[in-house]
Order: sequence, then C-alpha cells, then structure tokens
Amino acid sequence: MQGVILVVVAASLGGLILRAAARYPRPRQRYRRLLASEAAIVDAAAETFFPPGGQIQSSGADADAPAYLDRLLDVSQPRIRTLVRLLFFAVEHATLVFPAPGRGGFRRFTKLSAEQRMAVLDAFASSGLFARRLLFVSLRSLLTMAYLHHPPVQRDLGIEPWEIDTPVCEADLFYPPIGGLPGDIRFTRDDVTAPTDRGTPLDRAAGKSS
Amino acid sequence: MTSPSPDPVDLRVHAQYRRDFTEEADVVVVGSGPGGAVVAKELTDAGVRVVLLEEGPPFTPADFEADGGISMARTMREGGLRTTRGTVMPTMQAIALGGGSLVNSAICVRSPEFVLDRWCADYDLERTARADLESHYDAVGEFIGISPTPDEVQGPRNLLFRDGCDVLGYESEPISRNVRGCRGSGECFTGCRSRAKQSMDITYVPAALRGGATVLTSVRVEGVLCEGSRATGVEGTVVEPLTGRATHRFRVNAKVVVLAAGCMATPVLLQKSGNLANGSGQVGENLRFHPGVAVMGIFPDEVNPRFGATQGMQSLQFVSQGFKLETLWAPPAIPAVRLPGSAMELKERLSLLPYAAIWDAIGSCNRSIGRVRPRRRGLDPVLSWRLQPDDVGILTSALLRLAEIFFAAGAHSVLPGVNGLAPEMRSLEEAQVLRTHPVRSTDLVVSGNHAFCTTRMHGDPTRGVVDESGRCHDLDNLYVADTGVFPECPSVNPMWTGMAIAHRTAGAIADRV
Repeated sequence: MQGVILVVVAASLGGLILRAAARYPRPRQRYRRLLASEAAIVDAAAETFFPPGGQIQSSGADADAPAYLDRLLDVSQPRIRTLVRLLFFAVEHATLVFPAPGRGGFRRFTKLSAEQRMAVLDAFASSGLFARRLLFVSLRSLLTMAYLHHPPVQRDLGIEPWEIDTPVCEADLFYPPIGGLPGDIRFTRDDVTAPTDRGTPLDRAAGKSS
Repeated sequence: MTSPSPDPVDLRVHAQYRRDFTEEADVVVVGSGPGGAVVAKELTDAGVRVVLLEEGPPFTPADFEADGGISMARTMREGGLRTTRGTVMPTMQAIALGGGSLVNSAICVRSPEFVLDRWCADYDLERTARADLESHYDAVGEFIGISPTPDEVQGPRNLLFRDGCDVLGYESEPISRNVRGCRGSGECFTGCRSRAKQSMDITYVPAALRGGATVLTSVRVEGVLCEGSRATGVEGTVVEPLTGRATHRFRVNAKVVVLAAGCMATPVLLQKSGNLANGSGQVGENLRFHPGVAVMGIFPDEVNPRFGATQGMQSLQFVSQGFKLETLWAPPAIPAVRLPGSAMELKERLSLLPYAAIWDAIGSCNRSIGRVRPRRRGLDPVLSWRLQPDDVGILTSALLRLAEIFFAAGAHSVLPGVNGLAPEMRSLEEAQVLRTHPVRSTDLVVSGNHAFCTTRMHGDPTRGVVDESGRCHDLDNLYVADTGVFPECPSVNPMWTGMAIAHRTAGAIADRV
C-alpha cells in the first residue's frame, strides 16, 4: 500500500514539475513582476470571468488584467507577492487533482478550452471545500479589480473617479510627497484654502455637462 | 507674493535620515493613529517634550490612489491581505501617518451607557462609565469637528436606508463623523481628496508639531527598552516607505513610553520585548472583533452609489441585541467582488452597480475570542480567532434586518452573500430563509472590522494588562493608548471611544511628568 502511495505521489510531483516547466506564449508586454506563465494564467482567467459581449462591451482580455496585476504586485510586499503567485500556480495546476470535464481535462488551466475553464471555475465556486471556494473568491476578486480598473468599463458603469479640486490644508505645508524632502513641498500659507463651499462632485459634473 | 511658510516644525521623513540616531524625550509615543496622535498633542500642549513615532509615511493627496486594490496595497499592512486563522477573515491595519483615520470612514459614535456600565461591573473599573468619559468625548469631538452628516451629501444610497427604516419604524440617524466640508465623493477609504475628513494627520499631528513635538515617520519600533521595572525608551529600524526596506537604526530614550501601535501590533511589541508587562498573562489574549457582514440591494431606479458620504446613515436600534446597521460604499471594485457568479452572469450583475446600494452590519461578537502572537520573523501578528455559533446567529439576524430594510425601501432584490443560499433573493419571504437555514461561520463573508482587547484594562492586575489610566500594571512608566485596552467590544465604531480614553491617558501622564 505504501509503495502505491509513493508511486502516486512521485507521479504527481513529476507531472507537476513537467507542467510547471512548460513554455508559455510571450506576454503582450514586458512586466516588472509578472512572469510569462502568470500573465498567461491571468489572461486566461480574465477572459473566462469576463467574456466579450453583454451590456459591458469590454472583455477581460480588453481590460489587460496582467498590467493591473503587475502594478498591484509591484506595490505589494514580498510575502503578498508570494501568496498571489501561489494562487496563480494553484489555479493553473488544480486540474491535476480536480480535472476539467471532457477530453484532456487534466491539462493546465491555460491549455483548456473556454468551456472547460468555465467548468473548472464553477466547480471551485460551488465546492464544499472552503479552501477551494476561497481560491475562487480570491482569484475573482483580483480579476474584478483589474476589470473595473479599465476606463471603458468604468465609463460603461458610470464609476469613473470624480474630478476633484483638492483644497490645500495646513498639514499640506508640513508633508512632502512620499519619497520627497521637505524642500519638495509645493505650498505656502497663502495656498491654504478652506475645504468647504466647493460643491459636490455631482454639481461639478452637472456644471461641466451643461 | 506669498507669505512665508509656517514656523518650522520637526517632522522627519525617510529621505532625511542619513545615519543611525538617538533622540531624547520626556515621552515617546509609538503610533500616530487616533490613540497616539491624541496623546502626543495633549502632552505637547501640557509642555511635555514628546517624540511621536510612525512606521508609515505621511500621505499627501498626490499619494492617494483611487483604485481600491492599489490603495490598500500602499496604505495597509500586509498589503490589506491580513487574515485571521481559525475562521478565515480579512482584517486591516493601516501603515501611514494618522494610522487608520487616514483610510476609515470617519464614523464617530459614543459607546452606549450599558456597554460602559458592563465594562465597569465586569472588569473592576471605577472611572469608565459614560459620565466619566463625557468630558473626554467632548474635548475630542470639538477638536476634530464631529458632527452629523448633512442631507446634501448623503446621496440616494444613504437616504434610501433612512426611508426603509422609516417604513419599518426602526430608528435611524445620520452618522456623526470627524469631517468638515464633506463633498460626498465617497472616497473615505482611499484618502479624502477633498481634505474634508479630519484624520489625525491633518488635525492632531499638525497640532502636536506646532506645539513642539518631534514626529519621526518611517521608523519601525521593534522593542521597548527596560532597566529593572522601568521602561527607558524604544529602539528600532528606519524603513523605506512602501517597501519596508531597512536603512538605519534608531533609539529614543524617554521617561515614559506610550504604546499606541494598535491592538494587533502593541501586544506583539510587548511579546518581542521579552514578554513585557505580562504578569497577568493577558498580553495578546482576548482578541475580539466587530465582524462585519453586508448585503447588496438592487433598486429599480438608478442609485448612483458612488455619490454620497461613504457611510452616512446608521441604525442603533439593535445594538442591545448585538449588532449595529449602517450604510456603506467603497471603491467600486471592492463591493463588486461580492457579486456572485462568473462569465456573462457576473457581467450582468456588474452592470447593475449603478442601481445598487450596500448596507452592512457590525456585530458585538464578545463570545468569539482569539489571540495575537508574533511571527517568528518580523512584527506582523499571527491572529487566531474563531467565530462562535452564537455569534453567527447575531450576524445572520443582522443580514435579515438589512434585507428587510432594503425591501421596505423599494429594492427589487438583495444579495446576502451567504454560501448555500440563493445568491439573489427577490422578496422578503425568500429572505426569511435566513431565520431557519443552519448557517455556519464559513458560509458568511465576514470582514474583521475594529479589533480590541489584546492589552485589556482591568482593575485587578492579575486579570488585565493596564489600569484605567492606561498604565501597565507591571511597569510604572509604560502606557497603552489604543483599542487594545478595551475590555470588550464597544458595540459601536470604536474610534471616538479609543480617542476619549487616550485623552484621559494623556491627562494621567501629564500629571506625572
């Protein structure tokens, strides 16, 4: 019995190593943090979560999710980067344990057909295993953030960031921008404005459109 | 022609540190959030020489990021991805000058009388009833301009909550916030570009600076120094903003040390300093949260949810039953991640965002108790915590109330986000399943709002870490001034109570220095 388990574990490990070492297509741009394999996983998952069509025209591919996630990883601390990378790795290779339906269901996530990818993600979402559901929610959260960062999606949903005239308060005379020196502070006391009577962003938007 | 800049103040940022250094102070305060900032300003006003230490940098409006994910990665410890173990739940702690006040929604509520009475009765406290704290609440409230959210900046998603409560006969009220000149941009969580939120970095910290305090940013305190039974200062590392890369060492010698690093960091600091102030064995124990749950409601007409105060309305109707209801908004990607489904179904739900409102509940889950321990390396905490079945009941009751209010306000469906139940419910009758369905802790999407109690105050030195003045029972000149001193959940948003108690602590320190 022990021997059988050892063979299965060894075969799984071997398979995993072979899959992990496999080549991926060249990414559409050079990323600071994302590897080519991770960019491919993100692209595949984004296109699965956000296919073309429907009321929001842009698809996951249009939204260039890898670029957003590359920035997110870049501003994240190393431990977080590792966790996110493990998430991508788990998604890519989960088919070893939970294969997709249909032919070739054991292939990597990025090698599956669109329907198979969808089936894999749906199985994650409805799994009785909390950890598997957590994996799904984590992946979908990251990709939703990337998708909603895309300006055309924001326009379609009416959620573009407000244009705001930022007043200058006294504290702004004390703090340089991050990474700067006190000499980089651009304001003087004459610049200080009260944070009132500027109207709401809605007023501003109405004024602009009229 | 411009007038000269204000008198020079002693605020230092990372680019100014050239070598290792040592500072001297009467009082060193660790942490510039709502607790530490109050202590620093009040002591400075009293003529005490204060050095205020903050690991994060000051964020200017130019440094704010409107995108929720990027903003969290920059302003939160562990990139905003900190979670508890046991019941897995995200929880956050800011790393910025001003602490959590930079990125919270500015809610200010006095803890109810019955809560503070219970604290006094159960924890041998004699001066922590509501009447004892009123003058401290008032002093803080006046300084940071706490006032109810005006209707003009509520926006439809907040006002609909009031409408729903009115229909049902539930109490509701505009949330009081530390805000002056809110414009309803709904950006509290990513930094107020309107400079309306009176966070610590634009109120108490500048006041301390003007009064002569030294404020050192980008300094990570790693240990409290002691000689015998007295604290003599703190030491640590200068760290580069955002990356945390260590660049220099520093030390501050002081007559009094105040730890206000937050209830997840202060106990770690004590534990890493040789299990300091832990004669009671309570340092890092008793961790409690206000776990939050939320319901999204979809209305037939556009709500335009991005306009309006981030959290403008609340109901205290059910506080005595263990939960508080409030309205909520966040950068759109954050509420959107709650939407169920994938592919076209998800896209269709996303397209309903302009018609959506989100209301949430925070639970006083006093039965769900955890602990804080240090990691082997670094100062990030390991948080062990488990949501107990009775407290799950509190949260599902809250979900049902929220669904009720949504339908009363005219919503045509609600999304309660409970695993095992229909993702979308189209009537109150359908939502009644929340009464009968056996919901487990892992079925809920909970977030760890507000954390407390890890250095709790107790009149009995064998059962608590600090006394009512915030002084550690074991060390005469070591104080704690953050929400770790709460003996139990305050049942409402904790900032104002934490600041009021810190205000009292500052008075006690001023009397002795």
